[in-house]
Amino acid sequence: MAKFWASVLGGYPRGRLARYTMRDLDSGALEPYRGLVELERASALVVGAQLASGMRFVVDGMLDWHDIFRPFAEAWRNVYLDGIIRYFDNNFFYRIPVFRGEPEPQRLVLPGRVKGLKMLAEPAGVKVVVPGPLTMVKMGRNESDLSDYELVDKIASALALEVREAVANGAVFVQIDEPFLSDPEASRDDARAAAEAASRIAREAGTALTALAVYFDTPKPDIYEEIIDSKVSLVSLDVGDAPARAIGLLREKGCGGHGLVLGVIDARRIHDDSYSNVREFVIKALDACRELEEVGLTTTTWLDLVPLRFSLRKTYILGLYTERLAADLGGEAVIPITAKPEPYLAG
Amino acid sequence: MAAYTVPKAFPTTVVGSYPKLPSAREALRRQRKGGISEEEFKKLVREAIRGVIEDYIWAGVDILSDGEQSREDMVVYFAERLRGYAPGEWVRIFDNVYFRKPIIVDKVEWVSPMALDDWEYARSISGGRPVKVILTGPYTMLEWSFDLHYGDRREAILDLARVIRREVDEYLAKGAEYVQIDEPALSTRPWREEAELAGEALEVIFRGVSAKRIVHICFGRIERILPYILDYPVDQFDLEFKNSDFRLLPYLKEYGYDKELGYGVVDVHSLQVESVEEIKKAIDDLMKLDIIGPEKVYIDPDCGLKRLPREIAREKLKNMVEAARLARREWAGEE
Ligand SMILES: [Zn+2]
Repeated sequence: MAKFWASVLGGYPRGRLARYTMRDLDSGALEPYRGLVELERASALVVGAQLASGMRFVVDGMLDWHDIFRPFAEAWRNVYLDGIIRYFDNNFFYRIPVFRGEPEPQRLVLPGRVKGLKMLAEPAGVKVVVPGPLTMVKMGRNESDLSDYELVDKIASALALEVREAVANGAVFVQIDEPFLSDPEASRDDARAAAEAASRIAREAGTALTALAVYFDTPKPDIYEEIIDSKVSLVSLDVGDAPARAIGLLREKGCGGHGLVLGVIDARRIHDDSYSNVREFVIKALDACRELEEVGLTTTTWLDLVPLRFSLRKTYILGLYTERLAADLGGEAVIPITAKPEPYLAG
Repeated sequence: MAAYTVPKAFPTTVVGSYPKLPSAREALRRQRKGGISEEEFKKLVREAIRGVIEDYIWAGVDILSDGEQSREDMVVYFAERLRGYAPGEWVRIFDNVYFRKPIIVDKVEWVSPMALDDWEYARSISGGRPVKVILTGPYTMLEWSFDLHYGDRREAILDLARVIRREVDEYLAKGAEYVQIDEPALSTRPWREEAELAGEALEVIFRGVSAKRIVHICFGRIERILPYILDYPVDQFDLEFKNSDFRLLPYLKEYGYDKELGYGVVDVHSLQVESVEEIKKAIDDLMKLDIIGPEKVYIDPDCGLKRLPREIAREKLKNMVEAARLARREWAGEE
């Protein structure tokens, strides 16, 4: 009997409170401390939505991250930020991280966030996301003396430190995002470098679950072979974007002994996803990887590409379908919020 | 209208948008709050267009635009004026910049001219310089909207193409000489099927059009899409070069490029004003590759100038025009 659980892939969009707060913080009109308080309020909303929708792991929404690279690039010496460039095929731009040398963390991004989120997230687990070192190099610019793959390795070291401290502070799920691996230009060597970097980061995650996430499209088979060589516990694939190719990949290559997270709820569009489609994807994926005892369901990408209202709706749909699937397929849904309550009220 | 002669070699132009001048900003702000009459809005926008045209003429640009002063966003502006679209909610573009990503909720239909007024006004004060018609293309309109109606991308894009063609007809009837369709989204999915889809839409827009037909594409993997678009029914591709360090140049040679080229030589994301020498060198580099002659090369910025401070935009254009003048003398013996 398979277990099913749900967790959104990554960050949320900003509602009005977060928008105004970020604008005022960046312009200096708001004191950093006040800004933090306001952002915490905005974040509580998306945490609450995840909990109420039955997510097994929750994120803080990353509402203050202008893009996935930014908080890390800003916290590292030898990295500066350049002009804006389009992020895959979205009408969304990130600032190019430019590496002048080995990144040296001046402060840590994740541990403080995990500490803040842990209480709020109860009884769900805290999930943290880090940018994949390969994606960061490929979408950034390398002005250092290091080769690209050497730089990937150095970034992995910096992120490993983040992850170790995040887990020490209570994170139970670490996701490494390598969307670049779905790019037609990614090579097998790239994939090997990304997989090794992910293994390295995962080593520091202790008992936490670790996932290597590839999205925006399906990776090519030779890329996928390297991905499943990575020493992470889970592989997270975007199924909704090109279902036939994703399922084909699983049929052809299996899961390589990894657990699987399937991106089945379309996070780039605003229509309600069809339950029968999601059901079909999951049945086919389970059929391709029969050894799986549990499967995670997620969104195809981060939810920050749709307006807040729809991101909340998609979160709800993700939870709802996970529960329905478990019932439909004779499995069990892992939903922390409906589990037997701990005796919090005692004393 | 006074006569103006566009130089035969290296004419200079702009891609479209210009920094919003204060009166345009005020018009848009009041429009958002719902506190402005159509008449007042037009008056404020015209004041801004006048400033834009003055800047272009000061810099010496040959083929102008209205500066897109009334367009808050290149997709939203048209979505608000078409039937079949519903207003969207905020989605981020970068940093603290957002747009209200519009939603297609029904079959899209043309209602009335969308950008004609601004274009006509710009033309009336351009001292005879031609003013380009600049419209957002169907592929980009769909990619940067949410679609709750069509489900089928081809069907949606072709309907949008028909709507845009209807708009183009308005300008043609008034003697438009240059029609530019902006398709920045095209470079983000550089695959054959996508290029063919956009090409089919351009057939609809440009069939039988005798004005100069231009497509603008920017910021993406243009070198990947290029081989699939060379037989588009257009006279000119207007492309970004400077921001990607001219890496596109050798591909033009490789693919035997022989259409006109809008050659983007000014970076619109950088506050650094390119020197005349730097721009001239970029033109020289293109000419040395011996791909197309000077009469097929239009000198312009990479993309719209809207994100730059006005002073910087002006200086960039001025240097660009001067570099084109020098190149004209050297490569075409023209003054
Ligand atoms: Zn552009």
